[in-house]
Amino acid sequence: MRVIGVIPAYNESSRIAQVLRESLSYLDGVVVVDDGSSDNTSEVAAKVDPRVVVIKHPVNRNQGAALRTGTKAALLVGAEIIVHLDADGQHDPNDLPVLIKPIADGQADIALGSRFMGIEATGMPVLRRWLLKAGRWFNILALGISKKITDPQSGLRAMTAEAAKRINFHQDGKAHASEILRLVTRSGLRWVEIPAHIKYTQDTLTKVGTNRTTDAFSIAWNLFIGVFTK
Amino acid sequence: MLIQILLVLGFIFALWLTWKRFRQDVISLGEALAWSLLWAGGIAVSILPKLTEYLAAFFGVGRGVDLILYAAVAIQFFLIFKLFVKHEKLERLLTKLVQDQSLKDLEKNKSN
Repeated sequence: MRVIGVIPAYNESSRIAQVLRESLSYLDGVVVVDDGSSDNTSEVAAKVDPRVVVIKHPVNRNQGAALRTGTKAALLVGAEIIVHLDADGQHDPNDLPVLIKPIADGQADIALGSRFMGIEATGMPVLRRWLLKAGRWFNILALGISKKITDPQSGLRAMTAEAAKRINFHQDGKAHASEILRLVTRSGLRWVEIPAHIKYTQDTLTKVGTNRTTDAFSIAWNLFIGVFTK
Repeated sequence: MLIQILLVLGFIFALWLTWKRFRQDVISLGEALAWSLLWAGGIAVSILPKLTEYLAAFFGVGRGVDLILYAAVAIQFFLIFKLFVKHEKLERLLTKLVQDQSLKDLEKNKSN
């Protein structure tokens, strides 16, 4: 089966090459969506491997929007399985075979990576851990997402092409993760959570414009406004 | 009183502007009617302030001025909320344009 990774990237020129090299050991190709970077992310990505397709957003539209563009591009290049992962190296490419297996075996339509299924995340700040736990309860109580989902904001997921076509998410920002979970758990698609190793470094935690504590509030607000925007 | 004259003139100007915008196709007929109702209410209350006391008594609010303040706050909340929703719609439209533009080359290659 043709497995294509989708990596949204914003000013990731210093990290993207390594992520691509490691991921391509397990993937047939990768679509990198340069989300309006002001550095040379797209040039760096394009040089890594001929299997890398680079798509450029002329302006920054945020992670969810870039993922949507990348998913459409992956379908255009003939993906049968699509894998979403981050550009900053937080996701461990060695998890990819385990993540892809239930899809390739036909046991699930979508596999979601989780930080809370036994594999201890490296360097996760305590505040982040508690915010994610609060986020899980927000998802359960406000969005009606199944209690079985342990990670409310995982960006690591794999899905069949058919599932990708059916999960029609609209959130441009980080709220896309919760929106995807809501759509998946209500769609009748077969889903499974897989333990994943996430690695936080000082570099990724202090990245400009991302990973702020206030993100939790903007995610909740975006989901609320999103309900009224069709 | 001077304040009544100024308020009535202000509301008449708002009414004129509302229907001008309707003629320019900026707002719909429904929106123009809704805004006109609000401005007409303002004119009525400016000319006959006692009206607010009857309304206040009807709604169980102490003074007419309090009723106007409560109503103004509620209307402003509603309008701000509408602006947020409109803003979100524009953001989504912009994202769609950006996506279509970004995928154009890939789609062209696929169709060739």
